[in-house]
Amino acid sequence: MSANISGRRVADIERAPDSSVTTAPVRTASPVVGPPPRRRLRQTLEAYALLTPSLLGFVLFLVAPIIGVVVISFFDWNLMGSPRFVGLANYREMTGDSEVWRSVRNTLYYVALNIPAQTVLALLLALAMNRGLRGGKVLRVLFVLPWMAMPVALGIIWSWAFDPEHGAVNQFLSLLGVSGPEWLSSTTWAMPVLASINVWQYTGYTMLFLLAGLQAIPESLYEAADIDGVTGLQRFFRITLPLLRPSMLFVLVTNVIGSFQMFDTVYVMTQGGPNGSTDTMNFHIYQQAFQLFRTGYASALAMLLFALILLVTAVQFLYFRKRTVYDFS
Amino acid sequence: MSARSRRVLALAATSTLVLGLTAACGSSGSDSAGGKVTLRYGIWDAVQKPALQKSIDAFEKAHPNITVKIELNAWAQYWSKLQTQMAGRTAPDVFWDHVGYFPQFAKQGVLTDLSPYIKADKVDLSVYDPKLTAGWKQGDKQYGLPKDWDTIEQVYNKTMLKTAGLTQDDLSGLTWNPDDGGTFVKALQKLTVDKSGKHPNESGFDSKNVKQYGLALASPNGQTDWWDFATQNGCKLQDKAWGKWTINQPSCVEAIQFVQDLRLKYHVAVPAAVTNTPNGAALPAVLARKQAAVVWDGSWDLSAYQTSLKGNFGVALLPSGPAGQGTVYNGLSNALYAGSKHPKEAWELVKWLGSEQSEKIITAAGTVWPSIPTLNKDFVAYWEKQGVDVSAFSKGAEGTTIGYPLTTSSATYNVKVLDPFNQVWLGQQTPKKAADTVNTESNAAITD
Amino acid sequence: MRTHRTIATAFGRTGLYVVLIAGALLSIGPYLMILNASFKRPQDLLTTDAWAPARHATFDNFTAVWNQYGMSSFLLHTLLVSVAVTLGQVVFSAMGAYAFARLEFPGRDLLFWGYIATMMVPQMITLVPLFLMMRELGLVDTFAGLILPTVFGTPYGIFLVRQHFRTIPSDLEAAARIDGASTWTILVRIMLPLSKPILATLATITFINTWNNLIWPLIITNSDRTKVITVGIAALQGQHVSDLPHIVLAGAALALLPLIAVFLMFQRHIVRSIALTGLK
Repeated sequence: MSANISGRRVADIERAPDSSVTTAPVRTASPVVGPPPRRRLRQTLEAYALLTPSLLGFVLFLVAPIIGVVVISFFDWNLMGSPRFVGLANYREMTGDSEVWRSVRNTLYYVALNIPAQTVLALLLALAMNRGLRGGKVLRVLFVLPWMAMPVALGIIWSWAFDPEHGAVNQFLSLLGVSGPEWLSSTTWAMPVLASINVWQYTGYTMLFLLAGLQAIPESLYEAADIDGVTGLQRFFRITLPLLRPSMLFVLVTNVIGSFQMFDTVYVMTQGGPNGSTDTMNFHIYQQAFQLFRTGYASALAMLLFALILLVTAVQFLYFRKRTVYDFS
Repeated sequence: MSARSRRVLALAATSTLVLGLTAACGSSGSDSAGGKVTLRYGIWDAVQKPALQKSIDAFEKAHPNITVKIELNAWAQYWSKLQTQMAGRTAPDVFWDHVGYFPQFAKQGVLTDLSPYIKADKVDLSVYDPKLTAGWKQGDKQYGLPKDWDTIEQVYNKTMLKTAGLTQDDLSGLTWNPDDGGTFVKALQKLTVDKSGKHPNESGFDSKNVKQYGLALASPNGQTDWWDFATQNGCKLQDKAWGKWTINQPSCVEAIQFVQDLRLKYHVAVPAAVTNTPNGAALPAVLARKQAAVVWDGSWDLSAYQTSLKGNFGVALLPSGPAGQGTVYNGLSNALYAGSKHPKEAWELVKWLGSEQSEKIITAAGTVWPSIPTLNKDFVAYWEKQGVDVSAFSKGAEGTTIGYPLTTSSATYNVKVLDPFNQVWLGQQTPKKAADTVNTESNAAITD
Repeated sequence: MRTHRTIATAFGRTGLYVVLIAGALLSIGPYLMILNASFKRPQDLLTTDAWAPARHATFDNFTAVWNQYGMSSFLLHTLLVSVAVTLGQVVFSAMGAYAFARLEFPGRDLLFWGYIATMMVPQMITLVPLFLMMRELGLVDTFAGLILPTVFGTPYGIFLVRQHFRTIPSDLEAAARIDGASTWTILVRIMLPLSKPILATLATITFINTWNNLIWPLIITNSDRTKVITVGIAALQGQHVSDLPHIVLAGAALALLPLIAVFLMFQRHIVRSIALTGLK
């Protein structure tokens, strides 16, 4: 155990000079001491026995199709005829395709709109919920309900909400004397609308994870801070936020991966328009694969999206690794 | 949840899992057990399903060894799914085919040539409108039997037309031109009113606060809006069947410009921000809530107007343009999948669906015009009972019409046309530029 | 000074409530709109505002969607698939997660990072090879085809449970081992009882995701015999726009209610379990 990644990581972090982290209740990794050889063999057999169903699903239904995609990305194939090997042609075409790079920009823009808004809102909600308000439990349930919304069903509701003349949003704004924009026809507003729909759906869900993190912070730390005269915002920035980092990392990593793969809302609401302003990578992949039936090219685009997600996730890990006792591996 | 209810739940779940797996195993590959054949029939319109089911029931009665299962998927998913199924060689035995996809399918060899069957069973193709039969032909091969036909005409709200002092005849005899809009724009001006009761041709008309518009247009590909204007302006979408796209020639661009003018220059059509697809307001809704007095739509949508307007709507002819009248004429066919394991039985179904008995059953429900012209009167009769005169659709079909372009690049055209033309209707792009872009991209995708 | 402060706090508290209640209304507003609209007559649906109450309330839309469009059997199929997948995921994820959390074996870290990495692969495009594979297995248009790809667990599920297992003190286990307990006994008798909340969370997440899944059922099912509710609703959308909005909305309301019921049933566990996972 001492030689594996997780052990090394915890040790690194414990040595980290960041003082805020050392106040964290550092949980030691499971101290299963390196087993003797015979037990090791038994453990290996047991482990693989336990893993068999999960591995079966993993290899057959995840890894194999992924390998399939990698292979297809080197072919020109419309699903019907026989595939034609084209080497790196799909990847070469990709580098010169301005629509692809527009979709990369759109995706990054969407993530940049969505993630901060959702995370900050969820954090504020979690802080409010953590105060033990009366009726808080009911409110909490209501906030989480949007999470289970079914995209096919909600398309109708959103087009009612954002219709420029009869829509609920603009009718509400006109009560305030503001004349609302033509939301989904505007290259400026279409993407923020899509992002806000996503924020609506997932803020409550994200809040649950952050609330859990907040509740795990020992009250004694705050009491100690009170004695030291640390109050208000200082309390938040010096105790709450640092101790929330593990939850933050989890929430950010999973939400960012989800945001990069956003599809339903674009499909239902805009089909990538107006003027390509909401053509995200996953939608572009869908269009190439299932509308234009350029399966090989779409597979190459999927590789690009994967590389992008991998990069962004790695950056998040590196950032948090320096500051967190998150024992990931 | 108590421990007991949890156990009950677990038990129920396990048994459903087992049940599901056994049911699944039992069902695969059992579609011809005991001489009985199950056919799959793929369609995309939920509105037509009940009437179609009636016809299928009659078919099953006459063929006790055949069961037919209708597989309904909405237009938005139909083609993706069908082509994925074809790639997996699991497409339905019989399915609705569209002119937009037919050329590609014919080329890919996924359709069965029906002519040997037609010859063997001595099926009389002359009962169909010859235009329809020809549409599903390539060389001497017949790739489907005509199912129905449709045209685009003007659907109007009776109350609103009456309030403006207009009649159906007034609406049917209009003309337009690209210079001053003609009587068409004049009539629409009468039907367009701002918040203070002024019309667009009066001074002081407030184009920002319009209470009702004369016209509403919406189309993801042009079929129910600019293709019709283009035809009335002498524009051809293609140089010849199976040829190149020519939507950027002057007569086409002029027509596209006119559609933009209706919204942005004359202010007689509902703004594009309201109607642009995919998420714009549905035309039946626009007509029902009196946002517009007239909409252009296809005959297949009549039932939707009936749902929201209950007989308070009528149908008038499209206007004439500089080149005269014109509308888009189209129809579907029932096609036989080349990979069907039961081609003989599937042919029986195709033959039945194209027969007069079957079309009579379906036409009686008033959802689509039949491909056998002698049955048109049944369709008219159905709508007369609802208080709606639908003869404009058939009059339109007798005049100048264009069909869907015959090309292998329809899929590319359909994907590429939506966004640029939405931009044109919003005034964000010039008609010429949009037409050029779409024309180039669509021509580049033609395969032979 | 003290009264000032109390007043300020009271004021702040009221303000907070106003904001929170507004947020809660915004959260459930769309649901209320669906529910309200599904009771409207078709001719009123398109002519009245979405938030205007259904004046001539009717059950017709529900009876139509239930009887004419087969929603009853679609709901049953959805329930069957969701329960089966949920059950499988909970059991198999727990087993796999225990191996990753507590056992030493060669290839563990590599395998675990492999699981994590697949979470980052865009799923949509993998559906093409997956579909072709299912066809080879003869599982197109079967419940097995619907269930198999996710029933063995997902990387996310294994990850979630593994993180929780790692927070359970290992003293308990060590004691049990000394008493001669097998790994399986430890998993079933010690770990699982201590992990009920996280398993409830995983169950809820899985149930909701499976219930709402559209694209895989759309690809793998053909007939009404296996159709699930999302595909059933999607099939009702018209060629360009919905021709049957009243039917679609009633279907959507029917599809949502069981989901909300399941959530309300488990919500206490979910909140508690996420708190207990510690996620650190």
